[in-house]
Amino acid sequence: MAQNTGAAPSVNTNSREKSPIPKIGEDEEFEVTSPTDMSFRQANTGTTSVGAALFGGSAFAEGGTQFGGPLFSRSPFQGDGDDGEQEGELAPLPGRTAQQGFPNNYALGRRTSVSAESLNPTEAGSDSWTPPRHPKTEEQISRLKAAVSSNFLFSHLDDDQFTTVLDALVEKPIPAKDIKVISQGDAGDYFYIVEKGNFDIYIHPSGAVQPGPDGLGNKVASTGPGGSFGELALMYNAPRAATVISTDPKSTLWALDRITFRRILMDSAFQRRRMYEAFLEEVPLLSSLKSYERSKIADALDTIKYPANSVIIHEGDPGDAFYLLESGEAEATKNGVSGPVKNYSRGDYFGELALLDDKPRAASITTKTEVKVARLGRDGFKRLLGPVEEIMRRAEYELDAAKSPVSK
Amino acid sequence: MSLHKHDLHARGKQLVESLRHSPRSNPFLITERQDEKQLCISSRTLRVNDFVLIKTLGTGTFARVWLTRLKDQKDKSKVYALKILRKADVIKLKQVEHVRNERKALAAVLDHPFITNLVASFSDEKSLYMLFKLDYCPGGEIFSYLRRQRRFSEETSRFYAAEITMTIEFLHDIHGIAYRDLKPENILLDADGHIKLVDFGFAKQVDNRETYTLCGTPEYLAPEVIHNSGHGLAVDWWALGILIYEFLIGQPPFWDSNPLRIYEQIVEGRLRFPANMPPAAQNIISLLCKTNPSERLGHISGGSTRVKSHPFFQNVIWDDLFYRRVKGPILPRLSHPADTSNFEEYPDPPDARHANIYTDDLKKKYEALFSDF
Repeated sequence: MAQNTGAAPSVNTNSREKSPIPKIGEDEEFEVTSPTDMSFRQANTGTTSVGAALFGGSAFAEGGTQFGGPLFSRSPFQGDGDDGEQEGELAPLPGRTAQQGFPNNYALGRRTSVSAESLNPTEAGSDSWTPPRHPKTEEQISRLKAAVSSNFLFSHLDDDQFTTVLDALVEKPIPAKDIKVISQGDAGDYFYIVEKGNFDIYIHPSGAVQPGPDGLGNKVASTGPGGSFGELALMYNAPRAATVISTDPKSTLWALDRITFRRILMDSAFQRRRMYEAFLEEVPLLSSLKSYERSKIADALDTIKYPANSVIIHEGDPGDAFYLLESGEAEATKNGVSGPVKNYSRGDYFGELALLDDKPRAASITTKTEVKVARLGRDGFKRLLGPVEEIMRRAEYELDAAKSPVSK
Repeated sequence: MSLHKHDLHARGKQLVESLRHSPRSNPFLITERQDEKQLCISSRTLRVNDFVLIKTLGTGTFARVWLTRLKDQKDKSKVYALKILRKADVIKLKQVEHVRNERKALAAVLDHPFITNLVASFSDEKSLYMLFKLDYCPGGEIFSYLRRQRRFSEETSRFYAAEITMTIEFLHDIHGIAYRDLKPENILLDADGHIKLVDFGFAKQVDNRETYTLCGTPEYLAPEVIHNSGHGLAVDWWALGILIYEFLIGQPPFWDSNPLRIYEQIVEGRLRFPANMPPAAQNIISLLCKTNPSERLGHISGGSTRVKSHPFFQNVIWDDLFYRRVKGPILPRLSHPADTSNFEEYPDPPDARHANIYTDDLKKKYEALFSDF
């Protein structure tokens, strides 16, 4: 198993190196302080953490096993009395204190590239793919949310993406005990969340299930309702790092395959970018942007949600950002003027002159409904494309106070 | 008819030979050397039987690279690298699109001192072949030197990072190509200690658009690749940050025996530096490894120029590197031009009888996609 190889005490360059690099005492070197502590420690003592056991290491198996083989068998620096040259190469860095916090079980082997299926977004309109929808009860949804919300593959999803992904989970009944849901070493295409029943997790040291009575290897963990396994399959096809087997006569899983998951993320990101680009094209201040510059800006926009009746921009505040209205409705009001001076809906924008300077806002913007805006700060704009003045110099921009009451 | 074929064949081989001594030209003048460009389009006359396969230089999941020379070549020092991809494997591993991109990218990026030049490509019933000039890179992988020395000095790291920076600049600014698999394993050393970037298996012309297919090497994947939110040229700048870190420290900043924990660390993006790491190095790594590509050095305004003018690269004379007026910090030990002792040993190819078969069905479906070769 990869993590064993990677974590083995033998992974110590110095003991293997024939080159005359001064020895660095790695054994007593580190206090591991990373959040991944547990897996390092447990790996070091020979027992594997559940996380690592479930999903671990398969991508490194190849590199790991090569280590200690021919990699260090020959050194061009060996002999020939060029020790001086060699030492000159050694960085002045390490020393015990400098290395604190760095795991000392780093797998030194060559690393294999990984790759998922090629995915190309379909242009809006010609889109023939819609994500699968499998209806679920409110209760099921909230259980599923709880099961994955802390998982880094799901935690960054916006509400819409999250809903689409949860809708796409398909129920998979496991009708008997002792059914292998996934087998160590097999290709992995699905991620599973346990709805009902319990499952045991086995790892065979060879890296794959073997024939015969002990072919599953050692039981390393169990999981039950709310548990999940096989996440790596949502990224690319790596061999399963463990075998998962049902222990109840009847169980239920939710399954999600990689292509569906990645397509949902891709399609929503793609549509969001194209929508922002289209919105930006309508902003006269930015009309002189080249299309790749607009793409860059579209990429840098932050989506923010406001409930109804909240203030996005306060009249009199220094302007620091510009906004595109993605959904909902808002209105501009000015002190001393009764009623709204302008209404905004999808595709409208406001506050764009803040990209030029931090002059006070000339109006307030208040949401009338729930509103989603895309925000771009002046700093972010400058960082990406340089000062907006230079870009404006490409074309005259007519200030239109009527169009833009926020800045004047 | 057969005589005519024979002539063509001989001419193909002659062209391959003649390329070895063509002068190196400025890659920013892309109109030069039209002859090579044309040859590079694809050779209908070369066959794998024209070559002696001397030794494996590297293997991937679906490709193997051989040190090779032409059979009837008397000068034994004239060697090439021949990359062989089995069509059935390419299809099974769903890499058809990547292989096509690779062929296209390589044909576009000829004439750069730090990129291995594609000489010709050809194909037969079962396999695809790409032939590279190898006359200047017998030093093996930087990876091997790095692991052997554990870590590089700041000076050495700077030298390689500078050459990689120029290579990324060239790929991005001149060709709009994202390389997408930067790591020490893919950087070879030539006889003078300069770098050669190899393996364009994931290179793709993206220009200023985004692309979505996840690919790369776990420790070097950029956060936006993991999130599948669309990625572009900026991924190479992220990887450059990881690479400089690995040069200086001896291991990449985000690592765990479990790949998922690596990805978790990457998207979190919290870098930790040893206290005595040079501040300029810490700074450039922090700027390159910004999790938000809109804030990443190289991708933000100023582009690669901003990278090159960072204090970490202070005192680098870029032209001296580009025109190879200086030698690199590590000079490979070589006994002869075809010396392969700096490359690692690889096991022999698996028995062909157990390999995936390029069936007629596959052929019907995919053969047209391989017609570029």
